[in-house]
Amino acid sequence: MSSDIGKRIRVGVDVGGTFTDFVLVDEKRDLIFTGKRLTTPEDPSLAITDGLERLVSESGTSVPELDAVVHGTTLVANTIIERKGAKVGLITTKGFRDSLEMGREIRYDLYDLFFEKPEPLAPRFLRQPVDERIDAKGNVLRPLDENTLGAAVEKLVAEGVEAIAICFMHAYANDAHERQAKEILDAKYPDMPITTSTEVAPEIREYERANTACANAYVLPLMQRYLGDLSQKLSDQGLKQPLYLMQSGGGIASVTRGQAAPIHLIESGPAAGATAGAFYGRLTGTEQVISFDMGGTTAKMCLIEEYEPEHAHEFEAGRVRRFKKGSGLPLKVPVIDLIEIGAGGGSLARVDNMGLLKVGPDSAGSEPGPVCYGLGGTQPAVTDADLLLGYLSPEYFLGGEMDLDLGLVKDAVEEKLANVTGLSVEEVAAGIHTIVNENMASATRMYIAEKGRDPRRYALVASGGAGPVHAYGMAKLLKISRVICPLGAGVLSALGFLVAAPGTDSVRSYVSRLENLDWDRLNRLFREMEEEAMAQIVEAGADPATVTMRRRADMRYSGQGFEIDVPVPDGEMDGSAADVMRQSFLDKYQELFGRQIDDLPIEALTWRIYASGPTPNVELNFAGQQIDEEPSDKGERQVYFPETGYATCRIYNRYALKPGDSFRGPAVIEERESTAVAGPDTTVSIDKYLNLVIDIDPPA
Amino acid sequence: MTDSKKANFDPVTLEILWSRLISIADESAAALLRTSFSTIVRESNDFATVLMDANGDSLAENTAGIPSFVGMLPDALKNFLKRIPIENWNPGDCIITNDPWIGSGHLPDVTMAAPIFHKGKLVGFSGSIAHLPDIGGGGWSSDGRELFEEGIRITPMKFLKEGEPNQDVFDFITANVRVPSQVIGDIYAQVTAQQVCAERLREFLDDAELADLSGLSSALLERADIAMRKAIEVVPDGTYRSVLDADGFDEDETHIECAVTVDGSTLHIDYDGTSKQIDRGLNSVMKYTYAYSTYPVKCALDPETPRNEGSYRSVTVSAPEGSILNPTYPAPVNARQLTGHLLAAAIYECLAQAVPDKVIAECGGAPTMRSVYSGTDDDGNSFSQIFFASGGMGASPVADGHSCTAFPTNSGSGSIEAFESLAPLVIWKKEFRPDSGGAGEYMGGLGQEVEIEISSEKEIRLSMMSDRQKYPAKGLLGGLEGATVEVIKSDGTRPHPKARSPMKPGEKLTLKFGGGAGYGPPANRDPAAIENDLRNGYITSAFAKQYYGVSGEGE
Repeated sequence: MSSDIGKRIRVGVDVGGTFTDFVLVDEKRDLIFTGKRLTTPEDPSLAITDGLERLVSESGTSVPELDAVVHGTTLVANTIIERKGAKVGLITTKGFRDSLEMGREIRYDLYDLFFEKPEPLAPRFLRQPVDERIDAKGNVLRPLDENTLGAAVEKLVAEGVEAIAICFMHAYANDAHERQAKEILDAKYPDMPITTSTEVAPEIREYERANTACANAYVLPLMQRYLGDLSQKLSDQGLKQPLYLMQSGGGIASVTRGQAAPIHLIESGPAAGATAGAFYGRLTGTEQVISFDMGGTTAKMCLIEEYEPEHAHEFEAGRVRRFKKGSGLPLKVPVIDLIEIGAGGGSLARVDNMGLLKVGPDSAGSEPGPVCYGLGGTQPAVTDADLLLGYLSPEYFLGGEMDLDLGLVKDAVEEKLANVTGLSVEEVAAGIHTIVNENMASATRMYIAEKGRDPRRYALVASGGAGPVHAYGMAKLLKISRVICPLGAGVLSALGFLVAAPGTDSVRSYVSRLENLDWDRLNRLFREMEEEAMAQIVEAGADPATVTMRRRADMRYSGQGFEIDVPVPDGEMDGSAADVMRQSFLDKYQELFGRQIDDLPIEALTWRIYASGPTPNVELNFAGQQIDEEPSDKGERQVYFPETGYATCRIYNRYALKPGDSFRGPAVIEERESTAVAGPDTTVSIDKYLNLVIDIDPPA
Repeated sequence: MTDSKKANFDPVTLEILWSRLISIADESAAALLRTSFSTIVRESNDFATVLMDANGDSLAENTAGIPSFVGMLPDALKNFLKRIPIENWNPGDCIITNDPWIGSGHLPDVTMAAPIFHKGKLVGFSGSIAHLPDIGGGGWSSDGRELFEEGIRITPMKFLKEGEPNQDVFDFITANVRVPSQVIGDIYAQVTAQQVCAERLREFLDDAELADLSGLSSALLERADIAMRKAIEVVPDGTYRSVLDADGFDEDETHIECAVTVDGSTLHIDYDGTSKQIDRGLNSVMKYTYAYSTYPVKCALDPETPRNEGSYRSVTVSAPEGSILNPTYPAPVNARQLTGHLLAAAIYECLAQAVPDKVIAECGGAPTMRSVYSGTDDDGNSFSQIFFASGGMGASPVADGHSCTAFPTNSGSGSIEAFESLAPLVIWKKEFRPDSGGAGEYMGGLGQEVEIEISSEKEIRLSMMSDRQKYPAKGLLGGLEGATVEVIKSDGTRPHPKARSPMKPGEKLTLKFGGGAGYGPPANRDPAAIENDLRNGYITSAFAKQYYGVSGEGE
């Protein structure tokens, strides 16, 4: 099978909070099928096996014929958010028992005297110090005292811990004590799951590393069980090929890897969404893309440059205040670099203490949901405004499965917002729509500016239920001229699993100024990382001959506190590599900050490898399944645009539009899971992959 | 193009425009933070970026700006404009100063401002303040006797003239600081931040189709002013008084008398009766006193409204000239945080008499304890590292105080692994200090104990800036006091809490950070909470017995 990933019949399965989404790509017949089931939270594998059976039968194939099933899940993230993981004990270096609870000592909200901090994953009575110490250069200052280790573990076992994490000071520089401790524990408690900090995050910064080790231990028993069960069930169902997993960094990995380091699966869904965005970029020949996924509660934006989403090395899990940076647990895990803000169809509008209209981040969720659902919601939400403005149809929401109540919405907006602000219902609705767009545009502007780039050069790839409704407005705010709405945007993440390459990241910290680097040590580090990465990626189905490795390092001017990501030369390095790295650093610094300082030393902290196999070559063809016999014209209704106010606007049936179709805006294009909105200053066209392309006229 | 004075700023438009102005200030801040060399900028967020209108009034400030800089930039700018008439400001100019009385209260902070022109018209100013890695003189310390020992003083002058560096100023700064490349690098980080601010403002005016900011500015200032006034109106009228004592310098203890007078929608804070200024670096200039007085008021009464000039109109502050809270030139002011950080507690003790549910008990980390280690490592590289860590926060009416968390300042503590990789120091311990939080219905946050060993072959220099060895954080409404600060060397001696001293190779220093105070009587504490404290070793069984009358097993 190994090199066959990317060919034949494959299925992507994305287990989200509400729905489990399926995509089947059959390259033999050049067809794509999609499916959706309600997630079964008590045992997510139920919806998976059930939905898989249905999907293969609808698509006229069978489970034994599948060449791969690629899976991603929110289980890891939810376990941490809901605090439903294992009872974890932490073994630390003597003197550092409380690092995990002290955290960064920062107040994430400067003005709130009553802010809350996240509880540590291991409470103090389950944190046990051990006598040992290694210094910053990796030298042993005090040997590991096996007696105190033994006593510490006995205490934890007596307390009934279900998993143990070990994090020692400077283990990133020398992991001998962590390995020694793990061997001792393995011998004595063979059934106890143990995570060392260097196994999951061999990077400098003890708090973040310990946190990552604890988070891994926290989800380990659950995920080992879950992935084991799921593999077994799929095999019972007839699956002959292995199950694969989407990692947070965007690479596909084996189940074995997922069971050892489940914390690396924490952001698999969003990673898949971004990967799908990159795929659409490649498909449409658009090198610079911002993927924009707006659902019920949040909007996620990801910058994609030359078909590659950018990577980040840290992720904050389990925030006490969902959209407040700093209120969660920072984890050192490779993730796709994206931003998420509290802006979705369910985001609530209110009038603040200064009489100004605010939207989000609080959300109506799916229950009671926006006022228009008629399920008891009383505070107007973004979806309510979209309905008032004519963007959504009261009769064709979720493909007609749900009727929306316009009367209720008008009353609620009148009472809660219009009366208080002195504006009309229509003005408030337009205000809500614009404010939520502005919130998203503003976060995107900031995110892009920090990378030293300009949003105008990008195209927006919109997905999620609310994405295509808001993409046009957001594009105008960002001065973006093209919006692409793929068909089947509701299952984009699941598709992302199938267009992702096998991939993995490997990392080591070694802090040194460039001119003082010990080249033997650095070459050794890279060999280790390359071997480690190669083993993992081959396990994930890649042919070693096709694997590419990219080297990077986190560097900064000596004395600074923020590092930037710089390329590192391949192969055996010597002193001349320092000059190359120095120049790369200066170039990157110039790009990001518009200047450079010539006479300051540069230091590197952490070294990384990104290994990836070939990207599967997926041809998208919805033709067999999707084209509708009904007419594309669904009539007209009154729709609001800032330039025209309410005006007559043509409504289209997305499923009846054919490649090559083209028309002028204003237009509303309806599909089951979403609605695309195009203003009066646009031309809408359908490309050969049935993508809806909205081109905005240049400003007059 | 709309004349901003006549534009209609409805609640939707104003929300959108205001959010954008704040994100301009935030984007400017991000540019500064990411290129800064100063650890104190990074770990303590010790910087601010502010967008001002053509009158020099603050329109938007960076969200994460710290209390030290509240209201300082507009005042500095108005001073600049007095010295350099507006007709002499050209596009590309940038004015600099670090004068403590004009800028932000001590020499290491550089204050800068630049005009923003749009279509040939002056539309506003971008400003920034940041703590530089060095400013010459004796380094960051509290024992200087005159301002002149504390570093160079740059009176307001042009750092950039029409975009080009003013070479005389440039050379003068370079010649007088220890790490010139980093210092100049950080000044340029401020310049870059201000350029970002200016570019974004011009885009903003184009997008919003505004010719200038005047009408928008008055609408925004008015909204913030009204919000603050409404918040003050909640507090019953009256004058509330408190007294606070701190260690000060040797026999010169710091005595603060505070009177908060609420009259309708205005609030006045007066410090009449406070200690005289001293010839050590603890003096807090009036602007710093003002900043650290308005900040706690805003936290308690109106935490949510974004800040601009309007936020400060209804709050006034006075302190007698020549006092430690309003010293006259050339008083030494380098460690003014040791005095300024005390004011929040004095104000909260007053407000507790009127609105006890809105304030917290005194913090063990106010003032912060800072220690600076400098010297040469074994490879011959010079180093100077500030150790950041915090005592416990005071308890609130609804929860225990956070352990190891600073208030009113906000400083993170970096990684010890990173710290040890930059200086020849080994930290053997950094752990909670059990029993250090004041008992109460809600317990004060714990302080921490830190043990640092000098691992270089050469002697190094220690500069201590600490207080609260005599006077602990006081409890509120029946809550008890937190533990005092202690600093002990391995030979059993105690270094001067506010002076510089050498440390020998192999010597160890133990820093015990203060605990926060409790809120409400200990008798009201939930027994389950006491049990949890014991189980986790936050308190010992002796403490439980003494303060809660509970006999329980500690860990």
